[in-house]
Amino acid sequence: MVEQAKTRLVAGPFNRVEGDLEVRLDVVDGHVGRAWVNAPLFRGIERVLEGRTPMDALVIAPRICGICSVSQSHAAALALGGVMGMAPTHNGQVATNLIVATENLADHLTHFHLFFMPDFARPDYEGRRWYAQAHERFAALRGSAVRGILQTRALALHVMGILAGHWPHTLAIQPGGLSRGVEKQDCVRLSGILGGVRAALEETLFGARLEEVAALSGVEDLQRWAEGRRGSDFSLFLRIAQDLALQSSGRSYDRFLSFGAYPGFGSDPGQRHWRSGIFETGAVRTLNMDDVSEDHTFSHMADMGRPLPPFEGATEPHMRANTAYSWSKAPRMAGLACETGALARQLMAGQPLVRALVARDGGNVLSRVVARLVEVARLVPMMEQWVRALRPGEAWCHSHTGDIPDGRAIGMTEAARGALGHWLCVEKGLIARYQIVAPTTWNFSPRDAAGVEGPLEYALKGARVHEGEQTPLSVQHIVRSFDPCMACTVH
Amino acid sequence: MAGLETFYDVMRRQGITRRSFIKYCSLTAAALGLGPEFVPQIASAMETKPRLPVLWLHGLECTCCSESFIRSAHPLVKDVVLSMISLDYDDTLMASAGHQAEAILDEVMEKYHGNYILAVEGNPPLNEDGMYCIVGGKPFVEQLKKVASGAKAIISWGSCASYGCVQAARPNPTQATPVHKVILDKPIIKVPGCPPIAEVMTGVITYMLTFDRLPELDRQGRPKMFYSQRIHDKCYRRPHFDAGQYVESFDDEGARKGYCLYKVGCKGPTTYNACSTVRWNDGVSFPIQSGHGCIGCSEDGFWDKGSWYARLQNVGGFGVEASADKVGMVAAGAVGAGLAVHAAISALSRARYKGDDDQ
Repeated sequence: MVEQAKTRLVAGPFNRVEGDLEVRLDVVDGHVGRAWVNAPLFRGIERVLEGRTPMDALVIAPRICGICSVSQSHAAALALGGVMGMAPTHNGQVATNLIVATENLADHLTHFHLFFMPDFARPDYEGRRWYAQAHERFAALRGSAVRGILQTRALALHVMGILAGHWPHTLAIQPGGLSRGVEKQDCVRLSGILGGVRAALEETLFGARLEEVAALSGVEDLQRWAEGRRGSDFSLFLRIAQDLALQSSGRSYDRFLSFGAYPGFGSDPGQRHWRSGIFETGAVRTLNMDDVSEDHTFSHMADMGRPLPPFEGATEPHMRANTAYSWSKAPRMAGLACETGALARQLMAGQPLVRALVARDGGNVLSRVVARLVEVARLVPMMEQWVRALRPGEAWCHSHTGDIPDGRAIGMTEAARGALGHWLCVEKGLIARYQIVAPTTWNFSPRDAAGVEGPLEYALKGARVHEGEQTPLSVQHIVRSFDPCMACTVH
Repeated sequence: MAGLETFYDVMRRQGITRRSFIKYCSLTAAALGLGPEFVPQIASAMETKPRLPVLWLHGLECTCCSESFIRSAHPLVKDVVLSMISLDYDDTLMASAGHQAEAILDEVMEKYHGNYILAVEGNPPLNEDGMYCIVGGKPFVEQLKKVASGAKAIISWGSCASYGCVQAARPNPTQATPVHKVILDKPIIKVPGCPPIAEVMTGVITYMLTFDRLPELDRQGRPKMFYSQRIHDKCYRRPHFDAGQYVESFDDEGARKGYCLYKVGCKGPTTYNACSTVRWNDGVSFPIQSGHGCIGCSEDGFWDKGSWYARLQNVGGFGVEASADKVGMVAAGAVGAGLAVHAAISALSRARYKGDDDQ
């Protein structure tokens, strides 16, 4: 094969992603040949946690990220609860779900309106039939959708204010429940807030009732629906996606991982409202957490000789300029790279439209964004039900006295961006080891010892690069379709 | 500075009505603790002064400061402040992501040399020659020094920039270092908190935009208008502290009655911040209202002062009545006395903030 027109690009630093990101690209004949994804930042939170009183993880771990702090806090509380053998009270569980859901909802809205859609308002797309509308709605900072959604988001975060005191870096979630109880008047206020959020979303984002969007069941169904809702922002996105063929952009391994979202309440608290597992080639597999390991071959981390499960893992930064290219480790499930996020969650939850889209074209820019919006439409009605499931006046937190026993446990939850796990080992009453594997660590991992690329690196292959593009638009769409959080990735 | 728009011009261009502008001036006066007689003064300043350039840099951090900032209570204040500090995205920052953005940074630095405000979120790590935080292929500490060299004054957003915060907690693996230990020759305004309260952030910026000078600072370099009182001084649970009524564990009888959280680790008595007055998320609540003690996140070194959940056996043991100035004096040694309080700042603008665009 003749190697022609091969060039190397360094794309980044990226704006409109959380944290710092750089992507190196080999470009061959106008397409990405190979990609290397680099997280150029390291903070060392796991090292800070070691040697401390276990409960202090509730304060330190959320500081990994100002965007997903509640998810980090939830994972820490679950890990501690695992070691202590403690499950939250009914009210604690319901309220925690409400708090986590609020953060995920806010993150999805931010991603769509502030990070993802503004790309289509760039002058590069001038001349497209949908450009005028996209520009009017989504031009960065000026778009008419921006101000509205910031207000809706701020309103949604009042749920956080009422239940958890403040955000970001909420403190209220405890292993035994919540540090605050709910009164009847709180439930009334929560219902009012969610009603306002619903109205705003139905008005502009969907132009339809949330239930109608949540019930979309297939590809043709979606097309029909979009035709009838041309004024809505979701419909605008679908038109753009069709015109730019976003369904054939950014396909990765089509192996989807979810830790399961929103622990249930009632008879089996182990159950989750959206179940955990791996979704691949149309089938669901049960998770085996012993299969998780992290590989350091291409990370600026001390070489451990082999990929280690997080319970044995370590975070020792070590500059190795010869091979390593990222601060991120490479998490693998039984040696395989997995994609995680709203798409994985909705596949595992069995949402028919999302399953149909993936059956047709796999995971791609279109299906990732649709899954996020369908999730928004499903989440708000669930939250309304949870408010009704609160029991004012009843217990909200189990108390615990004395020291935390020695032991180990995994705190598993779903952040907006996907599967989040905290592996905690307590020895002699102190944190002996604390390993965190975040959603974007899975999605934006570097290569492993076998040379297997991370999901984004794989997804970027074949992306179109136009003449003179330094940070190609197609690459930006693919990168942002994962909704990366780099602060979490490297922690 | 000839030919520059005034704040008022900018606001009108952003679609803000005259009526909203006057409302904004009233809100600003109230937020800054000024009486109604200041409203015309603020309005006049906004109508006649050229806008102030602000450059916003990100080091080692978690973006919680930005997240807090874009959620400030009054949508109007937030819109106005955001539009003012992010102006040049409309005017000049037509660059795409990446190296073009860096070039624009250089251009603004040159054009407004000596006249812009540098706002820093996060801090530079110094270990391994700064390799733990790389921006545009170079260590963040280099970018920070470069941009600081032409700044009129620096705002250290949050506890990371002010004190080091979580990544500087023992053992501080990256040697994360607060801004004032790297930049020694500029006035620095510290706005600590993890994150700081949105209204405090907009308040500080608005004050500087409006009055063309730094707010009055305490000995640690914090604006006195927001950091001169302890959480404890204005805490709504204070009567229970005075009456010796305490929560012993979350959800006990005391918790249900809303007693004082001091015994479950509350650091309100030693923390200088405005949470108990301004509150969070549109004044809805703050940590103590959610039944959780204050963790003291706006205090220097709060990560390494013992567990947040330690039960206190005998209450009233530490010097909780020390005055702001006493605490300030102790800490002043580290800060250095070179803070130019009331330094005059002239004007002009630009911001980099995550979530903004390009194109």
